[in-house]
Amino acid sequence: MHTLRVLAALFKINLQMSLAYRADTLVNILLNLMWLGWELLGLSIIFSNTTQLAGWGIGEMIALMGVFRLVNMLMASLIWPNTEKFNTSIRDGSLDYTLLLPVNSLFLTTFSRMVIWRAWDLVLATALIVVGVNMSGGGATPLRLLSFMLLTGTGAMIIYSLWIVMIAATFWFVKFDNNVTILQALLDAGRYPANVYPVWLRMIVTFVVPIAVATTVPLQALRGELTFLQILLYLGVSLAAFVVASRIWKAGMKKYSGASS
Amino acid sequence: MLRIFQRFWLVNWAEQWQYRANLLMYLLYWLVSPVVYLSVWITIANSQGSVNGMSANDFVTYYLTLLIVDQLTSDITIHILAYKIQDGTLSGDLLRPVHPILVNTLVNNIAFKALTFMALIPIWVVLVLLFRPDYSAVSWQSVLLALPGVAMGFGISFLLGATITCLAFWTTRVYSISEFYYALAVLFSGQFVPLPLMPRVIQAAAQYLPFQMMRYVPIETILNRLPLETVLRDYAIGLAWLAVAWLLFRFVWREGVRRFSAVGA
Repeated sequence: MHTLRVLAALFKINLQMSLAYRADTLVNILLNLMWLGWELLGLSIIFSNTTQLAGWGIGEMIALMGVFRLVNMLMASLIWPNTEKFNTSIRDGSLDYTLLLPVNSLFLTTFSRMVIWRAWDLVLATALIVVGVNMSGGGATPLRLLSFMLLTGTGAMIIYSLWIVMIAATFWFVKFDNNVTILQALLDAGRYPANVYPVWLRMIVTFVVPIAVATTVPLQALRGELTFLQILLYLGVSLAAFVVASRIWKAGMKKYSGASS
Repeated sequence: MLRIFQRFWLVNWAEQWQYRANLLMYLLYWLVSPVVYLSVWITIANSQGSVNGMSANDFVTYYLTLLIVDQLTSDITIHILAYKIQDGTLSGDLLRPVHPILVNTLVNNIAFKALTFMALIPIWVVLVLLFRPDYSAVSWQSVLLALPGVAMGFGISFLLGATITCLAFWTTRVYSISEFYYALAVLFSGQFVPLPLMPRVIQAAAQYLPFQMMRYVPIETILNRLPLETVLRDYAIGLAWLAVAWLLFRFVWREGVRRFSAVGA
């Protein structure tokens, strides 16, 4: 309850900050729409030359675009701005003030900045997923839809956990301030189903930087390619990832000695 | 004049060398999307034999050559200079008796290229081993013929990039404009897919736009896939664009500096 109230307060602060730059917000949304058109054009170029990509039809690719947009939103609205703030706070010692507050430090470091206009992506992503699922035909049973949503959540959780580990690494290696760039770099690989890639790249995006787990896997659930056991496995992995990540965070906290004191 | 260039080279080389870790990240960042598109098209080509007459090997050679050409023709002026106009530190550069963009920024661009190239070559060799392209169509004549194209491509993208950066004299922030420009460039240059796979309208437009000289024309020339007449015609169009870009840059720079109010200085 307490956490929810803090979250609401953070949301309000960030909303007020973004209202100061209204024109910027409008331009950003227009650019965002431009990129959407761009991505759809890309998809139509691909599908004017073929009817399916590694077994996936255009409907499924549109739904994948929606899921990719969600991950991208997580990246742009939370991961980037909070990492930037965190890196600065490690360097100048202002992390001390965050730690003094009576709120979970991990929660506060990962949610204190939000790029509000990115909520727009949520609308677009939902629309893309709905359109995509409808276009891909009647294959989507309620059970598949449910596991799709569940795995979208676990995918986001895994990315979130990986991010925590990456920023926590800063406690040990102070000069590690392009910590999340590697995440961003490989993000583009989430635009297409992972079975398109050569084995080495598939390994990287599945096990090293698991972008594919957050993008391809939910779609596989929607296509009914996953067994019940596999779904359970992803669920377990995401929970384990989060537990491990928060342990690492706590260990990092112990290591942290403050730059100003 | 040569001594001045030499001096600027030393300074900019040292400056770029400081950021070598960032450079690796940048390289990774910029490498992923060509490899992704390459994989997509190989998958399609393999599943149906060929795409619009292009075999899987055609795609492999196209995108692997793109990595090199892209590195040679790309331009980072906006990242070097936009913030200087924004926060007013350009004033210091303006006091020097040399052109801040045509000397300092240009040399910085080249230093950046030289450094990324050192890192790119080993990575490129690994990619060649992984994708095993058949480069038998390439000859030293075709590479030689492509060199003016690459030079023109860099010239155009440098001057257009500088022109866009100079818009900051009016708008202070130019990142949105540059994002728009970047989207156009990706679309019309052949960065995303080889131009013949594009819808006809885009192909027709791309022929007369400056962007194809940045990727498509030099790549296809190296790979010996364009008839000589086409190459020469494209070079003529490229040369015209180079002149246009030069005039545009001259105009924007002259008017811009006059307006420059050195925010915060």
